Order: sequence, then structure tokens, then C-alpha cells
Amino acid sequence: MTARSGASLPFDDQRHLLAHRWLVDETYLLDAQNYAAWLELLAEDVRYLMPVRATTALGAGFDTAPGMAHFDEDKYSLSRRVARFATEHAWTEDPPSRLRHHLSNVRTFATDRADELLVDSAVLLFRSRGDVREPALVSYGRQDLLRSTSDGWLLALRSITVDESVLRIQNLAVFL
Amino acid sequence: MTVLDDVRRGMIPAHIYNDEDIFRLERDRVFGRSWQFVAHESEIPSPGDYVVRRVLDDSFIVVRDEQGDVRVLFNMCLHRGMQVCRAEIGNASHFRCPYHGWSYRNDGRLVGLPFYRDAYGGESGFRRAGQTLLPAPSLDIYNGLIFVSLDADAPPLRDYLGDFAFYLDYYTRQSDAGIELRGPQRWRIKANWKIGAENFAGDMYHTPHTHTSVVEIGLFREPKAEKRKDGSTYWAGNGGGTTYKLPPGTFDERLRYVGYPDEMIARMKETWSAAQQKVIGENGFMISAASLFPNLSFVHNWPKVADSDDVLPFMSLRLWQPVSADETEVLSWFAVDKQAPEQFKLLSYKAYLMCFGSSGMFEQDDVENWVSMTSTAAGQMARRLRLNSRMGLLADDTTVTEALGSDEFAGPGTAYVGYAEHNQRALLHRWADYLEQPIAAADPVDIGARP
Repeated sequence: MTARSGASLPFDDQRHLLAHRWLVDETYLLDAQNYAAWLELLAEDVRYLMPVRATTALGAGFDTAPGMAHFDEDKYSLSRRVARFATEHAWTEDPPSRLRHHLSNVRTFATDRADELLVDSAVLLFRSRGDVREPALVSYGRQDLLRSTSDGWLLALRSITVDESVLRIQNLAVFL
Repeated sequence: MTVLDDVRRGMIPAHIYNDEDIFRLERDRVFGRSWQFVAHESEIPSPGDYVVRRVLDDSFIVVRDEQGDVRVLFNMCLHRGMQVCRAEIGNASHFRCPYHGWSYRNDGRLVGLPFYRDAYGGESGFRRAGQTLLPAPSLDIYNGLIFVSLDADAPPLRDYLGDFAFYLDYYTRQSDAGIELRGPQRWRIKANWKIGAENFAGDMYHTPHTHTSVVEIGLFREPKAEKRKDGSTYWAGNGGGTTYKLPPGTFDERLRYVGYPDEMIARMKETWSAAQQKVIGENGFMISAASLFPNLSFVHNWPKVADSDDVLPFMSLRLWQPVSADETEVLSWFAVDKQAPEQFKLLSYKAYLMCFGSSGMFEQDDVENWVSMTSTAAGQMARRLRLNSRMGLLADDTTVTEALGSDEFAGPGTAYVGYAEHNQRALLHRWADYLEQPIAAADPVDIGARP
């Protein structure tokens, strides 16, 4: 597991600028549900993880449901999810949701490998379906591992820390 | 009530899926009386382990005490009514109220009462001996599944399950060790709780259409959705479910076909009765979705978990916990046999996540439908519309196809092959029976007063 090395990079560091731009560009792909292009940004060995948060007492030493996640994906399972949206029968997204991933708090860490960066960010996802249904909000943090390859920088790991124990969204037919 | 008469003849007044008056009756007469699943013993393996679960608006601590016994305690301090446990999961020897510091052992006994002598005058003012957090009025366990009822006179759980217990074993007792339950994922959907319960009980008819996309992306070995009509539905005791028809083969071959390793099949043979084995091995039916009245559902399916032809089975339990007439909290657990090989557990978990739960590809389309139905059921026009839920019945109430004979289906209850709404009607029939029966007010409990 790649570890972060030192303090977060200065905001004018080329590596931070690169990582930040990568995340912003990705956000536009996710908002547009351009999932075919998004899948191209994922490393072959990508892990995409979103544990279930649980309310625990102060000092309990854990705050997730043991052995359970909302997402625990590899490239195969993500590719099936993307392929499903590309069929004409993924009813939950027909009509499609209007999505906006509000991205902030981006900071980048160097690692002991020149070709890998660790990036933290915060996201507030707004999802609107239909004309008058109440919109759904999902607030979460991300820890991403970006890796430089011959195909450019790819996402090798995304760990999503959702801020609610009980999600107030009808399903996770979205990527976070 | 004419609504109940309509329901009983299979004509469903559409407003029952979003009606505050109906919901108020359900709260008292269905959820105030039926057995409610709260947790599985594997979620609280060690003394002091607890989870906090609700039965509608009532919060309960489900805890294993120091003697190893399971307790289900109403999460309300006897003094001022504060929740004594505000976490969802953890381990504790005591629960202490943050308001005035009353504290309780994890078996519910009141042991700490600050300034007991000065403020209350000891036992002569407040009878502390024998005081406990209120236990759930009824508590019973089957295959490690912990149920409570708010009715102190509830029949024994085993009687309540009736012949559905036969099918419950497929999901919760694949070996003597039983299952381990992980989760739950929890999320809230703007849908009425009955819709999911009905769907899992018997709706094989929706699979080919609602879940077309899942078949199109090759998640299954074969064009499975269309094959649903070859499966059977059964209703037995207080629940019912759906099955798939498997290709010819022996018990072992058919379980291998859905992806079970030989060592698990051997344990199933040691654990299940001859009739339970016969349903799979001779009749060729493999359990799929099911519901126990009123709101606990099960699912068993076997998708591909990697880019190969191999499939792998998973099981899930879920609770459709009502929040209001138009909102439900879904609690969805992954279940796996405790003795299953670690690699099987890992892949089965992946299979679950891909198919069901908060991100599952089946579930995504189901919930979209149910939210839409619920919102449409709120209006005046829905009060005029009686939905036809008579599939499988002719006008004279005889069935379109004959019930399977015992040589075709070895399980208890009544089973039919093909598409029909027998089970949805059976579930709502039971619902009508509950709604019809007024519930007596429970006796109040005085805390610490002299008799």
C-alpha cells in the first residue's frame, strides 16, 4: 500500500496542479454520465471502495459496519455497471438524473513512488430526478491513488468515506 | 372495511400504497402485533456486543449479556426517557444515561442511580431492586434470527413461521453452524413498505422486463430472466417465495450448477431434511426471492463475479422498515454460511454487492419503480383505481394452472409453476386479517412505585 510522504504539496506544485485538474475533469465526466470515458481513466487493478458508516461510541475504535460496504468493486464489476447504463433498459436512469459533483478541499501528497500521488478531496453530490421529486444529497470524502502510466494518469484506488450512516438516496446508480 | 374486502378478492385499492389512515392502522395492528426481525445472533457474537435496531418508532438495544443470553431492551431510560444507547453498534458492559447518570447492566438491570439514598430515600422511596430497562414484550429466535413482538401474548415464533420455516432453512441453515450476517446497508426510499415485500414474495413476472439490462450485460450464464416462468412460487405458513427451475441433474449437480463447492453441498445434505433436498434434487427448483409476513425478505441468486463462465451464489436478508406511508428504510444484509470456505465468502460478497443492496444492479431498477408507484398512489384518482392483482385466477376464482402435486413439489404449502400473483394476494390477505383486528392497549408499567 502506497503511503503518503510528508505534508500536503504546495498548491502551486506541478503535481498538485495535475492531480487537481485530473479530479475536476473527472467530475465533468461523472456529471455528464460519460461513463465509457470514465472507465478509461481507471487502472486495470483499480479498487473502488465505499464502506458503510455506522454510528459508534467515542473511542470505539471503528466507525464502519464490519465486513460490509456500499461499493467494493474491481474493474470487472465497474465495467458491468457501466455496461448496464449503456443498455436501453437501465430504467433507474431513464429519464437520467441531473447530477452535479461539487468538488472541494483537494490536497495532494507525494508518495515514495514518483509515479503515484495520493489525493484527498471532498464532494457534495446533488442528484435530481423528475420534475418535483425531492433531490438527494450525498456528502463524502475521497482518498484517491493516481498512477502515471503510458495511458496517462489513472485511478488505482478510490476510498469513499460517506458522511451518513443511513443514505438518503434511492440507490447508488451513480459513481462517487 | 370495503378496502379489505377488495384486497381479499385481488382488487387492490391503489391508495393503500400511500395513505396515512392505512399507515396508522398498520402501525398499531400489523407492527404492534407481528413478529419483527431485529438482528442475527452472529452480529453480536461476544458478551457485551450490541446493535441498536428499531421496530417502527421504537428503539431497541439487541445485546448479548455477560451470561451469553440475547436480550432485547427498549432503549429508553426509566427516569426521564432518554436513549441510554446512542450508537448503532458496539460492545458495552453497561449503558449509562447521559442525562442524570442512571446506569444499567447489559442484561438491562438498573444498577446505578446517583444520590439514591439522598434523593429518593433508598428502597422505601424508589424500588430499585428488580428494575430493568423494559424488555421487548416477546422475544424468540429461529436459526439465530432474533425476532421481537410488541405483543406480550404473541404466539411462539415457530408457530408464527409455520411451514415457511421449511424454506427459511435454505437461507439461514446451510450447515449446523448457520449463517453469519454482515451489514446492514441502510438507505431510505420514498416508497411504501408493502411494495418490496410483495415483490420478493412472488413477483417473477417483473424479472424479464424490469431486469432486462442485467441479463443483457452478461451477468448470468444464460438468458435467465426469460426462464422465470419455468420456476415455481410457493406460499407456506406465514411466507412465500419464488424459485428457478434448474437443468436436469442430481442434488449435487444442481447445487454445483449454481456455484456451490462440494464441501458446502456435503454439509447441506447433512443438514437439510429429505423433503428439503428433494425440492432441489428431484423437483429441480432452486429458491430465489421470498418474504415472511409482514416485511422481512430474502434473496438467493448466482451471477458471474468475474469475466468467466463461472457463477457464484449469494444470499441477502432485508427488512422493509416503514418510516411513514410513503417512506421506507431498507436494511439489507449479506448472509453466508459460517463454515463456507473463505474464498467462497469473498466472492459471494462481491456477487451480493453487484446485484442487491444500496448499489446493486437489480435493486436500482426495482426502487425506481416503487418510488414512482408510491408517489402516484397519493392522489384522488388512485382512490378510484382498483389494481388487478388476480394473475393466476380465472373469473370464478379457479386457478389458471393447477397447484403442483406432492410428486412435483416436495415442500409444504401450495406451489404453482409460472407467472401468477398468488403470493402477493396471500401476503395482502394476511395484511387484511391483521388490519381487521383491533388491538388492545397494553398494560402500562409503573417504574419504582409502591404496589
